[in-house]
Amino acid sequence: MSKNVGLLTQSVTETEIVPIIDALRRRFGANLTPQSTRDEMPTVWVAKDQIREVLRYLKAEIEKPYRMLYDISAIDERVHQARRDQPASDFTVFYRLLSTDRNADLRVKVPLIGNEPSIPTITDLWPNANWYERELWDMFGIRVDGHPHLRRILMPPTWIGHPLRKEHPARATEMGPFQLPEDKQEAEQAALEFQPEDWGMARSRENEDFLFLNLGPAHTGTHGILRLVCQLDGEEIIDIVPDIGYHHRAAEKMAERQTWHTFIPYTDRVDYLQGVLNELAYCSSVEKLAGIEVPDRVKVIRVMMSELFRLASHLVWYGTFAQDVGALSPVFYMFTDREKIFSIVEAICGGRMHPEWFRIGGVAQDLPDGWDKLVRQFLDDFPPRLNEYDKLVMQNPIFKSRTVGIGAYTLEDALDWGVTGPGLRACGLAWDLRKKRPYSGYEQFEFDVPTAANGDCYDRAVVRVEEMRQSLRIIEQCWKNMPSGPYKALHPLSTPPLKERTMHDIETLITHFLSVSWGPVMPPGEAEVPIEASKGNNSYYVISNGNSSPYRVRIRTPSFPHIQMVPFIARGHLLSDVLAILGSVDFVLSDVDR
Amino acid sequence: MFSRHKTTPETASPDQREPGAPPQMRVPTDQNGTRTASRLTFNRSPDEAVRESVVMAKLQDLIAWGRKNSLWPLNFGLSCCYVEMATSLTSVYDIARFGAEVVRGTPRESDVLVVSGTVFIKVAPIIKRLYEQMLEPRWVISMGSCSNSGGMYDVYSVVQGVDTFLPVDVYMPGCPPPPHAFMECLLLLQQKVGHERRPLSWWFGPQDVQAPIVPSMRDRKREERRKQTESRPIDRLPRTDLTWRDR
Repeated sequence: MSKNVGLLTQSVTETEIVPIIDALRRRFGANLTPQSTRDEMPTVWVAKDQIREVLRYLKAEIEKPYRMLYDISAIDERVHQARRDQPASDFTVFYRLLSTDRNADLRVKVPLIGNEPSIPTITDLWPNANWYERELWDMFGIRVDGHPHLRRILMPPTWIGHPLRKEHPARATEMGPFQLPEDKQEAEQAALEFQPEDWGMARSRENEDFLFLNLGPAHTGTHGILRLVCQLDGEEIIDIVPDIGYHHRAAEKMAERQTWHTFIPYTDRVDYLQGVLNELAYCSSVEKLAGIEVPDRVKVIRVMMSELFRLASHLVWYGTFAQDVGALSPVFYMFTDREKIFSIVEAICGGRMHPEWFRIGGVAQDLPDGWDKLVRQFLDDFPPRLNEYDKLVMQNPIFKSRTVGIGAYTLEDALDWGVTGPGLRACGLAWDLRKKRPYSGYEQFEFDVPTAANGDCYDRAVVRVEEMRQSLRIIEQCWKNMPSGPYKALHPLSTPPLKERTMHDIETLITHFLSVSWGPVMPPGEAEVPIEASKGNNSYYVISNGNSSPYRVRIRTPSFPHIQMVPFIARGHLLSDVLAILGSVDFVLSDVDR
Repeated sequence: MFSRHKTTPETASPDQREPGAPPQMRVPTDQNGTRTASRLTFNRSPDEAVRESVVMAKLQDLIAWGRKNSLWPLNFGLSCCYVEMATSLTSVYDIARFGAEVVRGTPRESDVLVVSGTVFIKVAPIIKRLYEQMLEPRWVISMGSCSNSGGMYDVYSVVQGVDTFLPVDVYMPGCPPPPHAFMECLLLLQQKVGHERRPLSWWFGPQDVQAPIVPSMRDRKREERRKQTESRPIDRLPRTDLTWRDR
């Protein structure tokens, strides 16, 4: 394998090498192969026996370190043809690192050979590697050596096979009809039974027995089908073992058999509260891959819709968080405002929660006449209500006593656990991709990035509420300065292609027909454009084989690391604080399990 | 006494009156259709006075009427659909108007299991357990395409329809169905519950549950839908019924 790596090094020209990769090659030898990608994110191939050293160096030793482990996943490369300048590999594990000091990303890839590959663990370097590595095992069957609890995370414990391998069936209808007879029901329930010993947990200590309490999967405080097994001493949390995967909708596998265009509706449902923000993350990546530059009007329309959905998502959080800590009335106000946002969304897109409205290279249709009146009405109506909610919730003494000083973590912890979004900003770091790496024209807008200092439940709430005001500012600017122009890029890979151009000659008609029936054929390569979603950084790492559907789509969602961190935050608190912590973390189960 | 298919003369056919309502509970009206019940008149006949203040009903009908108007859903959500279901509880939609706002945290106190969202293979045994924990009579609404048939998720982790392991009373299309669709289906379920007749005791009367045959909404709405020949132009705003804009 190392021979292959060495051979390929020669084919790479020196001009492609970026400083960080140069630094790595100087330190670890020239067998680190750089790879050029369409998103121009520094990407380097590292051999399996060097990976731990390389990652340790990047995290701890290098100047301006890569403090955050942003993502880990793998690619089943066994039928991947378009791998021009890449080392031989059957399964490629990639580590995505993020440096907030440098404002830079890095992708480290490890080639693995064979059908049952293995890779050393890095859970000692980053605590949040734990779940990502379990997902590697669950989805790809890649054994992680030295992992403390290498067991399935998304699929049921009784599952056979590793779904993201290419040989695993994608369709449920390929797998025979689902049946749930009595004995299977019993067996599945028995497999879900919690055994503390499996997790290295004691059943008792010197003078007391612990109580193991199941919170979920059907529990009102968990905001969906999440199961938390709490180890309790009285009411005090000793430890928590989250059990996820009840909401695994297989969006990544689904992408492999949808066209580039028809995958858009599935993205909506990844974080079902933030609608078009998912589409923005996906479309940005695909546009990067295809080299599409969208018109100004598209950018501003997208920003406006995204901010409306950010508001809608934060409103759900606001109401349910207040409800979680005992205030029952706020949720009625907030959902009413959410309905107002949806009436705008419905007027413009035709849908409510899942508008499926962004397209590759544009949006589905132009804004309807009178959209500005609707938005104006909302902009006038909402700010005073938001101020009222401050009195109703944020200044409420009970709310404060339930959240101030509860569930605090430091900036160091946040970076270690891969926290992004409001949870990171509540620790004092103004990390907002809209400001740091403006996409979709955010550099044209005036807005602030609210931060707080303590990183507790209350501060996370403060940041989100202030963010809503900033979103309103952005929408106001969209309303004032909506540029004119086309609503879709005149690029051959934009979907669906504009109809007007088809009637000129037979060639354009054929291209249009193919593009509509087969969908666009994206050039081979890979791209990823992270965006600031409502809950943190979200990105779609899309890999094309030069086909009409993606070869692999990796969805990095913010809720996954956030939920992983809950036991760390909750230890030592009371059981009732767990619900405050869950509410303040703001997650969506479909965003956790995808 | 308990034969239910006999229609008493003063009772109209079930279609003409509020389904499941005891026959005499209609509000008395005059010929113009205005309410007369609130008008206190001292010169009415004793017969009229009795009819206005006394409710006569068969016990079976009365129970069905009570059941129908207090369907308590289980607080259980799977995915996106649950957010829309929860929205129907809040002020704009206010499902309390139909007596279904009493969301219960435990299956043992609930009447309706709303399977709101995608039924995953991993969660199917849990749904079944919850259903089994509910006391009879119990009903199931399958909310949204995923729950109806797997919907757009024909994928390894998703059960292709909750009816593979649960009996479903009402199927609700949509992805996700908006809150008013949830309310429509709740009303359909109410109609069904109101017409259902269940045994009153284990030792007398018929022991089987007599459920009405419910026509498909697709057939019932076909005529009305075929009348609609024009779709809304996409460059103009739709008419909406939300009142906040008119303020």
